[in-house]
Amino acid sequence: MLTKYIEKYHKNNFQYILVDDAGKILEQDNPILPLTIGENIQDIHPFFEILTHLLPTIDESFEFSCINLDYNNQETLVVDISLKTSTNNNNLVIIENLTNHYNNYQLTAQSRNESIINSQILVLKNEYLLEKETFKNNFIANFSHQLRNPITASTIFSDLLINSNLNSEQKNYLQIIQSANKDLKQRIEDILDISKIESGKLILVNKVFNLKELLKNLEIIYSYLGNKKGIHIQFNIESNIPEFVEGDQYRLKQIIGNLLTNALNFTNKGSIIMNVSLNYFRAKKVNLHFEIIDSGCGIDDESINSIFDRFTKLDTTAGTGIGLGLAIVKYLISEMGGNISVESEVNKGSKFTFNISFKTSNHSNDQKIEILKNQTPQLKRKYNVLLVEDSEVIQLSILKILASTGLFYIHIIDKAEMLIPHLIDNKVDLILLSNTIQDFSAITLASSVRNLSKEYKKTPIILLSTQGYKDDIKHFKKNSINHVLVKPFDKNKLLELVKQSLK
Amino acid sequence: MTISKKIVLIGHFGVGKTSLIRRFVENTFTEDYKVTIGVHISKRTINISENEDISLIIWDLEGQDDIKKTRPSYLLGTNGFIYVFDLTRPVTFEHLNDELAFLKENFVTTPIKVVGNKVDLVNKIYLKEHSEQFDNVVDYFVSAKTGSRVEKLFAKLAEELI
Ligand SMILES: Nc1nc2c(ncn2[C@@H]2O[C@H](COP(=O)(O)OP(=O)(O)OP(=O)(O)O)[C@@H](O)[C@H]2O)c(=O)[nH]1
Ligand SMILES: [Mg+2]
Repeated sequence: MLTKYIEKYHKNNFQYILVDDAGKILEQDNPILPLTIGENIQDIHPFFEILTHLLPTIDESFEFSCINLDYNNQETLVVDISLKTSTNNNNLVIIENLTNHYNNYQLTAQSRNESIINSQILVLKNEYLLEKETFKNNFIANFSHQLRNPITASTIFSDLLINSNLNSEQKNYLQIIQSANKDLKQRIEDILDISKIESGKLILVNKVFNLKELLKNLEIIYSYLGNKKGIHIQFNIESNIPEFVEGDQYRLKQIIGNLLTNALNFTNKGSIIMNVSLNYFRAKKVNLHFEIIDSGCGIDDESINSIFDRFTKLDTTAGTGIGLGLAIVKYLISEMGGNISVESEVNKGSKFTFNISFKTSNHSNDQKIEILKNQTPQLKRKYNVLLVEDSEVIQLSILKILASTGLFYIHIIDKAEMLIPHLIDNKVDLILLSNTIQDFSAITLASSVRNLSKEYKKTPIILLSTQGYKDDIKHFKKNSINHVLVKPFDKNKLLELVKQSLK
Repeated sequence: MTISKKIVLIGHFGVGKTSLIRRFVENTFTEDYKVTIGVHISKRTINISENEDISLIIWDLEGQDDIKKTRPSYLLGTNGFIYVFDLTRPVTFEHLNDELAFLKENFVTTPIKVVGNKVDLVNKIYLKEHSEQFDNVVDYFVSAKTGSRVEKLFAKLAEELI
């Protein structure tokens, strides 16, 4: 029975061929390849040319798997071929037809290889895009940094100039320059922020801070700015908001400041209202609701959808674009776990609304105050600060800043010649030294201080410098100067550095 | 008189071994990628001098991400190698030197031509950027697509086989 089945179902998968040492076909059984006796097997397909070298061997066995035989334009056969050589010119070639098997394998290999290659190409594209992106962001960051110095110089000198003898027309021009400087500086800060955002380098610094005080300070500044423009700015701050929260106070200031500045820029009559209220306390978090409402020119329906996008600008007669500011604001708010929205009507005004959550801590108020104290160095006694500066504007502003703390006795001299005599007669704990003192370089002055006596070898000297390049700063620091504060500096920077130097 | 020589194309999958052979043997090219499994063998006779022909039996091997995995029987009796990599895919030339060392160790006297294929897809700057990897190693930058330097590659190798 089985023999019958075998006869019926036997697959003719094998072909046995006998060839002589030259490759001439002597016998063959079953036509997988249609061969003629007497023909040379090497003429059948170039594969068999390999036999030239192998047939003369004796009693050897060779196996070749997965050979594609394209034969007379017929469907390609994929076969395994083995060769057994012998002494008597009777070499056996066995062909096993495995076309189906190998075709299946081909399909698997096809999809495997294609998917591997595709993923490699994706990786490459990605790398390329990332490289471009990094280049762009680095370029922007470096370039913006380089712009800072010329703008600083321009700011300082127009500040110095405005207090000199100018007629009112000249003063007007200078004020335009000053405001352009400020604008430019803000834009550069914005570009830097955007490039930080894009490269993932903008990181919030969360610390405990006094929220009420921060809002109070903003109120003072913006009420003043509003008054100057004849716009009343009303702050409504609910008393039940917590005094201390944990968050990034500088970024919060930036958000509110940006929105208030926009409101001021776009409002020519009427008023601006800033509301801060408590949404809820939950799970050691407080959620606050902020509203900034102006009666300005408003935003039309078309623009309103894109005002938070990067690189869009409201086109208004006011001339002051909002630039990148709102994109940054939106990003910062979302980083703080909140969101911002806007409603507006043309010629009626706009209302920006946002929520932010802050962590509230369990510290008692005393502990909080203690935390704050540790953040900015506290001084143990009153110190004597000597300011060597010939610009009256700067003298005045430094005097204001230092005096407001009640922590310092301040002496001012405006001529280099007075420096040494003053040091001899008075006790000085810290010297603020300008680098623009007439006829003397700051380094000369600093080293004369150091050479004066042992007492002054370690007295901190902070240089108030118009030069902010890295190399300059390095040079100063090598030459008797402890710190360099690049003009224009703000109140906080000055105070921080002074306190730090005295600690 | 015709002599016959076996040339083996070897390299990672998808680098264009089959395409280079089709360009050389049939002067055609297709964008489609059909993965080779096992080996395809084809033949082209070229004339090297007035009355001397050389018949190149060209073995087109299945691509491997590591050529040490190649079935040894395929390499039996090889007269010359063409090692192909894909200029656009760094993975295919990452271990170029290792792979070549392997071939040179096992086939001490067999000539090897190293080619970077798909040169039509890259520019001079790219080649320059990779010059450290390619200089002193690569014999030809070729393109099966445009046919650039394909004929030259085979002719040069054939010349060395006589
Ligand atoms: N642009 C371009 N594409 C090429 C070139 N050579 C090959 N290709 C393409 O690359 C893909 C792979 O080519 P193949 O010749 O099949 O590669 P292979 O080395 O034989 O691949 P395996 O058989 O899997 O080892 C195909 O889509 C070809 O069209 C070339 O010179 N230029
Ligand atoms: Mg192939």
